[in-house]
Amino acid sequence: MEVKLFKIVKRDEASKLIFFLTPILAIILTLIFGALIFYFLGFKPLEALKFFFIVPINNVYGFSELFVKATPLCLIAIGLSFCFKSNNWNIGAEGQLIFGGIVSGGVALLFYGQEGFYILPIVILAGAVGGMLFALIPAVLKTYFNTNEILVSLMLVYVSKLILDYLVVGPWSNPEGFNFPETRQFSESARMPTLFEGLRIHAGIFIALTAVIISWFVFYKTYLGFQMKVSGFSLKTAKYAGYKGKTMILLVFMISGACAGLAGVGEITGPIGQLHREISPDYGFTAIIVAFLGRLNPIGIIFASLVVALTYLGAETAQIFMQIPKYTGQVFQGMILFFLLAADYLLFFKIKFLGIKKNEL
Amino acid sequence: MNTNLKVKNITKIYPGCVANDNISLGFKSGKIYALLGENGAGKSTLVKILSGVIQPDEGQIILNNKIIKLKSPIDAKKNKIGMVFQHFNLFETLSVFENLIIDSNETRGGLREKIKNIMKKYNFNIDLDIPVLNLSAGQKQKVEIIRCLIRNPEVLIMDEPTSVLTEQETSELFSSLRQFSLEGILIIYITHKLKEVMSLCDEVAVMRKGQLISVSKIVDEKIETLANKMVGQNLKTIKKNISIERSTEKLIKISNLNFSSEDPFETNLENVNFEVNRGECFGIAGISGNGQSELFQVLSGEIISENNSIKLNNYPIGNLNPQQRREYLMAFSPEDRMEQAAIPQMKIFENVALNNFKSSNFFNNGLIDEKKIKEHSQKILSDFSVNTDNVELKSQFLSGGNLQKLIIGRELITSPELLICFNPTWGLDVGAINYIHETLIKINEQKKSIILISTDTDELLKLCDKICVIFKGKLSNIMNVEEVTSEKLGILMGGGEIV
Repeated sequence: MEVKLFKIVKRDEASKLIFFLTPILAIILTLIFGALIFYFLGFKPLEALKFFFIVPINNVYGFSELFVKATPLCLIAIGLSFCFKSNNWNIGAEGQLIFGGIVSGGVALLFYGQEGFYILPIVILAGAVGGMLFALIPAVLKTYFNTNEILVSLMLVYVSKLILDYLVVGPWSNPEGFNFPETRQFSESARMPTLFEGLRIHAGIFIALTAVIISWFVFYKTYLGFQMKVSGFSLKTAKYAGYKGKTMILLVFMISGACAGLAGVGEITGPIGQLHREISPDYGFTAIIVAFLGRLNPIGIIFASLVVALTYLGAETAQIFMQIPKYTGQVFQGMILFFLLAADYLLFFKIKFLGIKKNEL
Repeated sequence: MNTNLKVKNITKIYPGCVANDNISLGFKSGKIYALLGENGAGKSTLVKILSGVIQPDEGQIILNNKIIKLKSPIDAKKNKIGMVFQHFNLFETLSVFENLIIDSNETRGGLREKIKNIMKKYNFNIDLDIPVLNLSAGQKQKVEIIRCLIRNPEVLIMDEPTSVLTEQETSELFSSLRQFSLEGILIIYITHKLKEVMSLCDEVAVMRKGQLISVSKIVDEKIETLANKMVGQNLKTIKKNISIERSTEKLIKISNLNFSSEDPFETNLENVNFEVNRGECFGIAGISGNGQSELFQVLSGEIISENNSIKLNNYPIGNLNPQQRREYLMAFSPEDRMEQAAIPQMKIFENVALNNFKSSNFFNNGLIDEKKIKEHSQKILSDFSVNTDNVELKSQFLSGGNLQKLIIGRELITSPELLICFNPTWGLDVGAINYIHETLIKINEQKKSIILISTDTDELLKLCDKICVIFKGKLSNIMNVEEVTSEKLGILMGGGEIV
């Protein structure tokens, strides 16, 4: 005797509503399982969740910090969505961020002790170019030598980290810095202006918002966006339509690298103010989660970057108040991606409830 | 052996389509049964149910008066039901023997002995230690058959086994199948080829649109009666009026065209030469996998070739990409509708925008002109009688025939001088096939040219003025259609020569 309560049926069409509901479902599941993890670790689940997700933003300072963290995530994720939409798998935004940081930091150090309104734009531009050039490496290798961009871009992350390490320990280290692995503080003219007195939220947020608007326009209104969409669905079709595949690969990697580089500029000229070993708490990797949680949609990415930024803040608060290790933040980020991928199953399949029915043998 | 197999009230429903509608059939050993039907009639679904690949929504399978449950292909194997699929399930880079031992519980020595005996008994001649990729299609199929025979099957199911075989290989297969049948193996033979049914089988069941139409003895049937049952309507025969005075104005000339691929699974093209005049339909026949796909890509510009090897109106275009070639009034209809010619997840008007050329003005200054694309799409939908007028509809909701009409319409509405199409009617129903054929004839009447690459010999004989055969990347001599017969084509397709 066999009793079937439900069965899985393929959907005729991926539902638009489900498309935007699954990220929310993923977040809810993450909260539930997060609570369970806290419970088994011996914490009160609700209290832990409160410290994780509510306490960090229950004041103005916390809100400003949320935007400080969300800015680089949003910017990088916007850049990455150019790549992901067109079937290019740039996993190395972290490296591009760091390299952008190195180049812009170098330029900022060149202007050490100088003042002038022109300094910051040059520094910003240098960061964008740096990230762009660094992203060109996997793109060129892919187009002309058929290498796998996932591996190359990922491995280049470690290259840029080591370059940064070398520079802050060696040639660029602060002469008055007692051999700490860090450079001099940048001059005031090379710093991103803050928006409010006493808060760390800075002008980088406008760069991120500009990127959101431009990307929305490119994705939905331009021939380039259309070509990216076609390539994302089927490279065979893109080839048949005659799109210049190589040019597009180079272009999306450059855009993506520039965005990551700009995120790096925002970090070092904003909250940090100098170069040191850890200019990014893996924003480049976390932004991959943001891009997918936001469904590669510019507006979605804004919300996703805020949610994920909260996990960064929550981890810090929880560490301070409950002595929960701050790496719990990464656990939450991992869970979000995990549940999102799992929930995507519902995009293509639905569960049909049959009621109780006896199958006779 | 005295096997009997029954299916009773089998029903299988897919979203939007009843693949098997209450099918009941009985089979007994000693006979060869044909399951006949067009593409999409539900034959493959029934066979997949019999081999445990999918489970029916309702119904039973009864083997030797016992109800059996087939929840996976392993269950089918346990019940001694063997199955040879249309597409081979072999690892190309492994040797024949490695392929056979993968799903076997026997020792290497024992199995080798067993295989040797089988090969000797049925006069198969295959080197067990060479990689499968070096085998011909016929030999690969024999490997699949051996895989079934190892398990001493009571039932052997063959799904469209001759679609990749030459005439010679087909007749070898038939004599093997007759021998199996004499030894008491129940054989179920799935096909849509009428001639094969007539020459091989004892009984025939015809399916159409998921339903069982008839069961009868071959001696009581004729090709025409079976054909009518299969398509459900009297076949309208269109025949092209071969124009008496042919244009001699050359449109496209292919000379010394070569392509060698780095991919061992692709076919290299060797010294391809032909010309197509205005208003002419040039056909390229052949069994699939002999370089048709590569040739199509070279002609469309997806693969770039030496610039002078392709000349359109005496202008070299060999190194132009497809978009640039469209500017020279060429149009292309690839074989793979769902994965290349169109994107099912995109809307109709977006798919129309794939054929972009300068004068269409779909994209001005890099911006999408949605209004223009939609107007253009609307015109295609009505001019080519696609079964919808909603340009916002996602293309996946179009049937194969309507999608193909959309694609052909998209390519033709720009009035190209040359249309290159590859298996344009593959998998379509008779109505859609007729429509596409009539459209292609109309293009020729307007003094536009066609290069038709097709694996359907009847289609080529019906539509073409000149025909040649592609075999292992080389073209045969070019023949006028009047001197061509399907027998001649058969010989050439198998790599033979015509004196």
